[in-house]
Amino acid sequence: MAPRFLKDIHWPITFLTITLAAVGIFSVYSATFRSMGDYTQKQLIWSFIGIFVFFITIRLGYRFFLNISYTFYVVTILLLLWVLFFTEAKAGATRWIAIGPFALQPSEFSKMATVLMLANFLAGRNPNSKHLQNLILTVFFVGMPAILILKQPDLGSCLVFSPILIAIIFLWGIRIRYLLGFLLAGASSLPFLWHALKPYQQKRLLVFLNPSIDPIGASYTAIQSKIAVGSGGLIGKGWLQGTQTQLDFVPEHHTDFIFTVIAEEFGFIGAFFIIILFALLIAYSFQIMKHTTDNRAKLLAIGIIGFFSFQVVINIAMTIGLAPITGITLPFISYGGSSLLATFFAFGLLASIYRERSIF
Amino acid sequence: MFSSRPSFRFPLLQVAVVGGFLVLLFGLFQAQVIRGGYYRKASEQNRIRLIRIEAPRGNVYDRNGILLATNRPAYNVYAIPEDFDPKDIPIICRLLKLPENKIRTQLSQTRFASFTPVLLKEDVPKEAAMRIEEFRPELSGIFIQIGCMRYYPQGEAGAHIVGYIGKISREEFAHLDPNVYHFDSWIGRAGIERVFDHDLRGEDGGRQLEVNARGVPIRLLGEKDPIPGKDLHLTIDAKLETAFRPLLPNHRGVILLIDLKTGGILTAVSTPGFDPNIFVSPGRSAERLAIIGSKARPLLDRSFNGLYPPGSIFKLVTAMAALETGVITPHTTFNCPGYFQFNGSSRKFKCWNHDGHGRVDLYTAIERSCNVYFYNVGRLVGEKKLAEYARKLGFGSSTSFELPSAGGLVPNAEWKNLIYHDNWYPGDTITFAIGQSYLLVSPLQILRLVSAVATDGRILEPKLMLDQTKNQEQNHNLSIRPETFKTLRQGMLQVVTSDRGTGQLARLGFAKLAAKSGTAQAPPGDPHAWFGGFFPYEDPKIGFVVFVERGMSGGFTAAQIAKKAANIWNDLYGTPIS
Repeated sequence: MAPRFLKDIHWPITFLTITLAAVGIFSVYSATFRSMGDYTQKQLIWSFIGIFVFFITIRLGYRFFLNISYTFYVVTILLLLWVLFFTEAKAGATRWIAIGPFALQPSEFSKMATVLMLANFLAGRNPNSKHLQNLILTVFFVGMPAILILKQPDLGSCLVFSPILIAIIFLWGIRIRYLLGFLLAGASSLPFLWHALKPYQQKRLLVFLNPSIDPIGASYTAIQSKIAVGSGGLIGKGWLQGTQTQLDFVPEHHTDFIFTVIAEEFGFIGAFFIIILFALLIAYSFQIMKHTTDNRAKLLAIGIIGFFSFQVVINIAMTIGLAPITGITLPFISYGGSSLLATFFAFGLLASIYRERSIF
Repeated sequence: MFSSRPSFRFPLLQVAVVGGFLVLLFGLFQAQVIRGGYYRKASEQNRIRLIRIEAPRGNVYDRNGILLATNRPAYNVYAIPEDFDPKDIPIICRLLKLPENKIRTQLSQTRFASFTPVLLKEDVPKEAAMRIEEFRPELSGIFIQIGCMRYYPQGEAGAHIVGYIGKISREEFAHLDPNVYHFDSWIGRAGIERVFDHDLRGEDGGRQLEVNARGVPIRLLGEKDPIPGKDLHLTIDAKLETAFRPLLPNHRGVILLIDLKTGGILTAVSTPGFDPNIFVSPGRSAERLAIIGSKARPLLDRSFNGLYPPGSIFKLVTAMAALETGVITPHTTFNCPGYFQFNGSSRKFKCWNHDGHGRVDLYTAIERSCNVYFYNVGRLVGEKKLAEYARKLGFGSSTSFELPSAGGLVPNAEWKNLIYHDNWYPGDTITFAIGQSYLLVSPLQILRLVSAVATDGRILEPKLMLDQTKNQEQNHNLSIRPETFKTLRQGMLQVVTSDRGTGQLARLGFAKLAAKSGTAQAPPGDPHAWFGGFFPYEDPKIGFVVFVERGMSGGFTAAQIAKKAANIWNDLYGTPIS
């Protein structure tokens, strides 16, 4: 018999996450093998650590993480303050804490901490009493890390907080008129948010609306990315054969634009395959969520599904010009240790919800 | 919790996600399958190079429109590493007179972005550029771009004010906005070039070129014109600057001239100087190093940032404090036996004239720069009031001025206690009163002092930017009575006109000049020479400060230079007296 530890592991999720991480390693290799730097090796190491985190999370169980979520949240806020005030800027932004040869990005962990914290906080509160007070507190809990991250400046990671907030409060039971008021308030605060953005971020958004504004700067990226994806055609140019990305036409092609590498080298079939993998992962997550009776688990699951779907959809849409370039990474695939760890952790939590579904 | 809410919420979230994925699939299908052929072709023909075009930096003009800083064309040779064939290296070496190793290292620098052009050699002579053009068909990946090279036509004149530019360093680049600065952009390093870098630099443009397989441009795809930097107009007078520099040969010194009608600085000569062109010409690094390492510190702008004891010129402040606090009137007299004692047994503080000046009033004391008179005044005013008036006139803090300027030091009891762990003695007060003790001032601060005296306190903020809106009268309320200024002006006139005045050597033929000399003890070494004043006496047009480091005597060295400077000004701009 299999050891007790392996009992009730959600094998499809395990298989899908590891497959996606493997796709990521191959893509990162293709995106970086011409340049110096041990990106692939690092991504490989992080993937193994991520898989380890995945199983540890299942072993510890999601309840443990929900119970320590307040502490976890406060720690990540402190880390965000730390990067903002005590670290050197790298390429104009302060996002990383260096640990030996690796750089950690607290915003990724802050994202997970916020999901856990919101699930724990709202599940214990009845939407029928003190509705508004709880909502305001929730917005505050999400707003604090989001604003700190925007200050770094990291618009992409900041935006990821919005689907978390909306998905969780929606499922918790926000009254529709509040939700509408909420969205209205969000829309009317856009002009203020606009001024909080750096000029290059503003430029990227403007370029999305009108690509001819800056043909050699910001919209160059958008155009080249679209050419890369489109030129992959139905079956692609073959692994390591993508000229657009290999020849540096698309910048950031190992991080934000990693999908262009896949789409160019493996074509529509490859891209379709990746999207199916992501879709299956999300479908299983919905299923897990449906079958748990624990309200905290439900909210936790929808928070994870929220940011994960958002990142996948917006990142891929960005490469084909359907969304502005905001620096949102593709989970599992984009180069980056913190993102890998956080995502494996998230799916570890989901697998753990599955495993402990029948405790009652 | 959710029981009270309708159950449509969960399916709605599912629908939203499914919808997002459908949009993706549709978008990808559209881009890759339907329009795949089009993009495929686009990617095959995609041999696009981005060439950055640096915006021409704004010019800097003097008050008469003479160029102080401008750009000249320079032929820069670039290579695109990806297109470059290493077998051509020997030819390039011969043409550019560069060692092979250097070219190889330069080419390998941007290995990660091998389509980014690499600058091989900047500012090559025109003939070399022509020969490279001739060889171009055989040399792939090499091209010449005409760039701008900063040029300072006036050389040393005005160099301290205009400053110079330099290449951004790697560390700086990491902290700058990559949309504005490029890794080999220039950036203002000193003076106006530094402080107004943002206005001067403009916005870089670029060119999107399509090239053939050998890297030769065949089509221009897109172009963004650079936006030239703004031009700046300074109050500086280049002609005067050039004419004044020879007045300070072999000296470290300063000649400051201000237009008392507007507050605009006309000259801020600081010697020794430097030619700012050595900072922008790639071939002149030896001269650059010599200037940076020179013991005479030619890069220091002594007029704004040099700090020295003011000596007797500070007596104007002491007199002002005394008149304003009412401890003396212009007619109060003290006897000068040649020394000053607090009481019969204490130390003798000497007057510079050991025989003594006899009984003198304030006018005479200023005229002859009697130390004993001001020792007495200083004792009556007290160090607190002296410091208060000194600060009021801008000593001890940096001026609100376009360029950074030194603040200097106005001492007081707390300061002395903190630094020297010693008490403030009456002797400190009376030496403070004659501009010695711990006081440190910059020539610019003395210029502010004489400007205030000359204009009843109206002109207090010297400036360097020529205002397009003319005749902007400054109006500062120092709350000092006009009679006080009048008394000081009268005293300063006597300094020059009286036969016993300390500044007789500065008498002018064309107008009455009023000034105060200063000979500041600064051991070890000879005293510094100061001479600050204004002319014409009746309706002051020009304020000036002459300072000579280790110049021995204010009334001698500095006054003579002031006279020559005033005559040069008169030759150029003076109106004949009718």
